[in-house]
Amino acid sequence: MIRFAGAPLVMALALIVALLALGEALSPGFASVDQVRRLLIVAALLGIVAAGQNLVILGGREGIDLSVGGIVSVGAIVAGNVMDGANGAIVPAVLACVATGAAIGAINGLGVTVLRIAPLVMTLGMLGVLQGLLVVVRQGAPSGRAAPALARFVTEPGLFGLPGILWLWIAVGIAMALLLHRTVFGQRIYAIGSNERAAHAAGVPTGAVRVSLYALSGAFAALAGLCLIGYSGSSFSNVGEQYMLPSIIAVVFGGTSLAGGRGGYTGTMAGAVLLTVLQGILTTVSIDESGRQMIFGATLVALMLFYGRGEALRA
Amino acid sequence: MTGANAIEPRRSVPRRLLARFPFLPAIAILALLLLASALLSPNSVSPRALTGLVSTYLALMLLAVAQTWVVFAGDIDLSAGAILSLVNVTVVVMMERFGGEPLPVLAALGAGLVVGAACGLVNGVVVAVLRLQGIVATFATGIFFTGLALALMPVAGTPAPALYWRTYGGRILEVPFVLWTAAAAGLLVWALTRTRLVLRLLGVGDGPRAAYQSGVPVTATRMRGYMLCGLFAALAAFCITGATASGDPLVGGAMTLYSVAAVVLGGTALAGGSGTVVGSIAGALIIGLINAVVYYAGTPSEWQNFVQGLSVMLALAIGVLINRGVRS
Amino acid sequence: MSPRLEVRDAVKAYGATVALARGSLTVEPGEVHVLIGSNGSGKSTLCKIVAGSIRPDSGTLRIDGREASVAGPTASRELGIGVFYQELSLAPHRSVAENLALGHLGDTSSPFLDRRRMRERAAREIARFADVAGPGLVANAPVGALRPDQRQLVEIMKCLSSDAPILVFDEPTSALDRAQVTRFFKVLRERQADGCAIVFISHRMDEIFEIGDRVTVIREGETVLTAPLEDTDADGIVRAMVGEAAADDRAGEPVVAPVGAEGGATVAARPSGDPGTFSGTRTDPLHAVLSVQGLSGGGCRDVSLEVRRGEIVGLGGLHGQGQSALLRTLFGLLPRRSGSVALDGEPLAANGPRAAIRRGLAYVSGDRGRDGTVTGRSILENVVPVHALLARLSLARPGSLRAVAAPALERLNTKYASLGHPISSLSGGNQQKVVIARWLTERPSLVLLDDPTKGIDLAAKLDLFTLVRELASAGTAVLLYSSEDTELLTHADRILVFNAGRVGEDLVGERRTRHALYRAAYDTADAAELAS
Repeated sequence: MIRFAGAPLVMALALIVALLALGEALSPGFASVDQVRRLLIVAALLGIVAAGQNLVILGGREGIDLSVGGIVSVGAIVAGNVMDGANGAIVPAVLACVATGAAIGAINGLGVTVLRIAPLVMTLGMLGVLQGLLVVVRQGAPSGRAAPALARFVTEPGLFGLPGILWLWIAVGIAMALLLHRTVFGQRIYAIGSNERAAHAAGVPTGAVRVSLYALSGAFAALAGLCLIGYSGSSFSNVGEQYMLPSIIAVVFGGTSLAGGRGGYTGTMAGAVLLTVLQGILTTVSIDESGRQMIFGATLVALMLFYGRGEALRA
Repeated sequence: MTGANAIEPRRSVPRRLLARFPFLPAIAILALLLLASALLSPNSVSPRALTGLVSTYLALMLLAVAQTWVVFAGDIDLSAGAILSLVNVTVVVMMERFGGEPLPVLAALGAGLVVGAACGLVNGVVVAVLRLQGIVATFATGIFFTGLALALMPVAGTPAPALYWRTYGGRILEVPFVLWTAAAAGLLVWALTRTRLVLRLLGVGDGPRAAYQSGVPVTATRMRGYMLCGLFAALAAFCITGATASGDPLVGGAMTLYSVAAVVLGGTALAGGSGTVVGSIAGALIIGLINAVVYYAGTPSEWQNFVQGLSVMLALAIGVLINRGVRS
Repeated sequence: MSPRLEVRDAVKAYGATVALARGSLTVEPGEVHVLIGSNGSGKSTLCKIVAGSIRPDSGTLRIDGREASVAGPTASRELGIGVFYQELSLAPHRSVAENLALGHLGDTSSPFLDRRRMRERAAREIARFADVAGPGLVANAPVGALRPDQRQLVEIMKCLSSDAPILVFDEPTSALDRAQVTRFFKVLRERQADGCAIVFISHRMDEIFEIGDRVTVIREGETVLTAPLEDTDADGIVRAMVGEAAADDRAGEPVVAPVGAEGGATVAARPSGDPGTFSGTRTDPLHAVLSVQGLSGGGCRDVSLEVRRGEIVGLGGLHGQGQSALLRTLFGLLPRRSGSVALDGEPLAANGPRAAIRRGLAYVSGDRGRDGTVTGRSILENVVPVHALLARLSLARPGSLRAVAAPALERLNTKYASLGHPISSLSGGNQQKVVIARWLTERPSLVLLDDPTKGIDLAAKLDLFTLVRELASAGTAVLLYSSEDTELLTHADRILVFNAGRVGEDLVGERRTRHALYRAAYDTADAAELAS
């Protein structure tokens, strides 16, 4: 019963095609194979972060993870330092950075479930702590280097012309679909997102599930951080900051409700691509920063008109 | 069969106190921080130092108040910092163009208020009328407002006229101007809490459907909440302009999230329907005092951000635990 | 003279679901017009259309002969309609005075609150009910801190304070006690005398006949009967609610008797086919499945009881006296303060629902929207959680899950189109069946029923109790709390009457009469009130 996101997915795909055409018109070469591949790599990075965000939002109770940006940066630094340019150290780097991300996420999850701090506030606080930590790290040791194999994995065309990272993203997509629709854990996620009290009364371990969601979000964000240094070679400290808002928007554009309990990951993947293409157009077209921000903000609002508007007061 | 004497737990005194004064834990934390500050550096609690504290954090206090109005209704404004930046830039640009005399300055302030209200109106339309989800929608409008600010002032640094920042940093009748400002703001807030708008905001936050059925104009109320938020963001911008004596299109960036933290520290529920403005003001002061205490404790400069962040989390956790301890 | 309020052929559909197919209602000035129908019949929808919180797809509404369109709650207020909402339209963190004021804030042009006016209004309204409201109902008390009956009184006050010539009450007495209802009816009669037109929705036969002048019955979205109450009786109304043919099938179904028959009447009716006596044949006097000693928790105090295999123990008494609290504490949804619970001789620790489920407990709540259905998910997903827990599943294979779910649903005659459809596509009664089926995928040894038939139609209720009896025959122990005395009197082997959290009396055998039940509930209620 793998459900497609239905209308939001179709809409997102249509918009992607439209935007690609627009981009090509405004700046020829925008929709070339090379460019599209580059856009997809960036979209994959966002998409991996958005996977974790998606899970947290699905879990309901105003679930959101504002600390993903910080975790991406931390993951990048951890991975970079463990790898330090050595191919042989890739596997330990992956393990170390995912474990770090999961641990940070678990702390978020515990704050939300045990202390019952609102997710917005908890993850916000965590972001502040991580940013402070990044300041310390920046003064100290160098932030490590990516291994050449990783860089190749992320940037160079591989099987069927798609770089390894895109295959990784596809694998994440399949794993998410299986997790959400073919496992008891997935059913439990939807249950706590739709009606936590009923889920609790039916024997669902609501606290444990929710903590896992935040841990997974941290793990995904850290993994994206690892891939990110593969993309850029080395990390500068606040590299992850730009992922927070887009990860949330990608989830919304994918048809997942911020209230939880509804939605899936396929739509989010399309949402990530959509957002990346949009940002790509704004970068290519030569307007200054102010115009770029204004257009971006306005476009986001306009696009949101099609996704999950709240219900009217008078039915 | 029906019955009257259904069992309800009796409400203990601490519980009732907390219900009537949700800002009490915040005041307690504030007192502890003042104590810590005094112990670390006795000078830090001198009238001069405390005035300095208020002066530095007046803008955050006002922004926290701004955020409180929309949170009462169960909404949130993540563009508050961007509105602050936009108003800051508008005011400075206007004063640069039309001069630094009293009249142009007042006109600039007036324009700033209009800009703040207009931004609030945009937010109100997007969230209440178009019914887009508040968190993402106000994030998006925030990006838009930042773009506008950048258009007005692409590079930070345009100075404010001397009249402005001298007045802000000076004294009237031997009392620092900032304290007069704080008092005036306090009076304004007090008056506002006695309006029907605020009661309606709280009613909407407590249960939009019930408020609607009770005849409360829900959409209009939420819109007015956002406009009020924009106005207070403008007031905060006036303080920032006085304190920094310049314009910066990105000055408000981090303040948005701090304003939300201040509201939560003050005991107001993000879900809406309950809370106090006093709490949010206390929350802003807590953030300010944490920064001060961390500094006075001699924390190495690169660790300060980290320790501050950790302390804010700790304060949040303490607040939550106090609430839970009293409830059970 | 034209009727004060006239609704003709109102229609409302939500997508494929038709809530109201042809609703009509006429109310004269000075009349109390009762509106009755089973859940899902459309009476609440009709009410909300009059109140303005729902927009009808078609139909006309006339006030004093003039056509009107109610665009929203503010418009309905201007048209002179005051509304009592079944789910209550109160802001829990606001005080009583503030709640009463919320609707009137637009009366003046000043932006400031008129605190004096608010105090006066609150004092006036509270005075009407002061001596029956109990302690705690004061002007500055937050509404959320009040008891359910007090909250209902506040909602009544809100409706009355609108001073509207048309008043609509949607189930205003569900949590009120006798004294409060009497006072309320007195106030209603005063309004009646002033020429108010009153619409009164209730499912309590005795109250309907006490206060009503005429009655309109709605069945499956259509008005099927409008008659003066003196020309009909409870039987006739039930027949109209359920439909002629269906009413005859249920010849054995006990009918809720009007208030006059209370004194001394023994409930003799039992569903046809039942052997008649409960004790001895299937309960095992030696084997206590559940043994509770001195249990105190969130709402129950020092409760001790035993439930044997195959026994159906009923929990009776006035609403909210600890029955639901006991069930929830046993299941682990509420914390235990003291006392011990043993299941099959082994102690049962207070570790939450998962531990309880693993020991063989099942819990069905009457508040299915809150504790039962996982809205938005499919029927299949709503049936399998307990099975998934007990079978320690990690993979969710649709085929095997369907094989487990279908038979469970079948046992209750659940009507559904496909297991993959959302649970919200089912009627209330069928939704509750799905929730119950959740427990039928396994073999619980003790079933806790917390007012399971609240808000479901008669046919579903019948299926439910047939199942309960089957379970009991097979040896499952059942603890049943029902707010409908008839259900307790018909199905329970013993009835424990609750008061102020304690078990007052234990009614067995011949003592299971309505009379004894009421007496036990009210008598000890007065005694408990004096003591506390």
